[in-house]
Amino acid sequence: MTTTTDTHRGIDPRSPRFGAAITTVLLAATIVLTLIPETWVAGIVLLAVIVVLFAVGGIAGIRRHPYGALFRRVVRPRLAPPAELEAPEPPTFAQQVGLVVTAVALLLALVGVPYAAPIGAAVALVAAFLNAVFDVCIGCLLYVWLVRAGVFRQRRGVA
Amino acid sequence: MTVGTAVGVVVGILILATIIGVVLRHGTGRARSASGTTRTSRLRADDLASVSDYGSAATLVQFSTPTCARCPATRRLLDAVADQHEGVRRIEIDLAEHPELARRFDVMQTPTVLLLDANRTVRTRFGGPPRPPELTAALDAVLTAGSTDTTGTSCTTGTQESR
Repeated sequence: MTTTTDTHRGIDPRSPRFGAAITTVLLAATIVLTLIPETWVAGIVLLAVIVVLFAVGGIAGIRRHPYGALFRRVVRPRLAPPAELEAPEPPTFAQQVGLVVTAVALLLALVGVPYAAPIGAAVALVAAFLNAVFDVCIGCLLYVWLVRAGVFRQRRGVA
Repeated sequence: MTVGTAVGVVVGILILATIIGVVLRHGTGRARSASGTTRTSRLRADDLASVSDYGSAATLVQFSTPTCARCPATRRLLDAVADQHEGVRRIEIDLAEHPELARRFDVMQTPTVLLLDANRTVRTRFGGPPRPPELTAALDAVLTAGSTDTTGTSCTTGTQESR
């Protein structure tokens, strides 16, 4: 249980929450910056950075996320070993949900839709905040609701 | 918009998120009596698996999805509980493979756990990872009702109270 390598199949469940805490701060800053006209450009740049980070976690997998590396290097040595490891698929899916929300907000903002950036960032902020503070996975709930709605006819290719 | 207003907007969003979080966490894992809800009242669940997969006294049905962070821990909890009680077994159902069951049993989150009695009727449900004391209490109620009722028609007792 003390493995720190990426080759182990499980991940420390505290790692995604640590990442969500950083994402919460970045999204809060994005909202403030994009609501103030003078700092709108800086806010959009920050939102673009967040989109890229979600893309790394959602496409390359949560274990390749920079926050995960930061957690392993800085945070985990100060903590007790995790009580149990979790599967990497749920937080990876959550990253994909975050990617879709923030990427749509970024695109709408760039084509001139007013308040698209702060509203999209607010939606992602609520999800990231709930994950970091309450350990509630909105993406996981969303997945169940999509299954109920019949969106997924086939089982996802997740081992 | 001024800096103060923008920060106020963020604070408002975080307050809203906190309320959502408190509400979501409040109900998570609590035992809900199936007899207290009309939609699952007397809901039979005898076609989820082959007869041999059910426990003779009670069965714990776990609904999972591939993207469910708490499902593995819930699986271990239910297995431990099942091992401690004679005639209790666990069935796990992947909703991604059986989406129709999500609608039939009104599953809004995973894991959702159903406690079935010996007649494979839903007695208690848990939305989210069951809180161990509530799971044990609900299971004891079903097992006690089942053991005092020698004919095995424990679905008529209906003494399970919502907690």
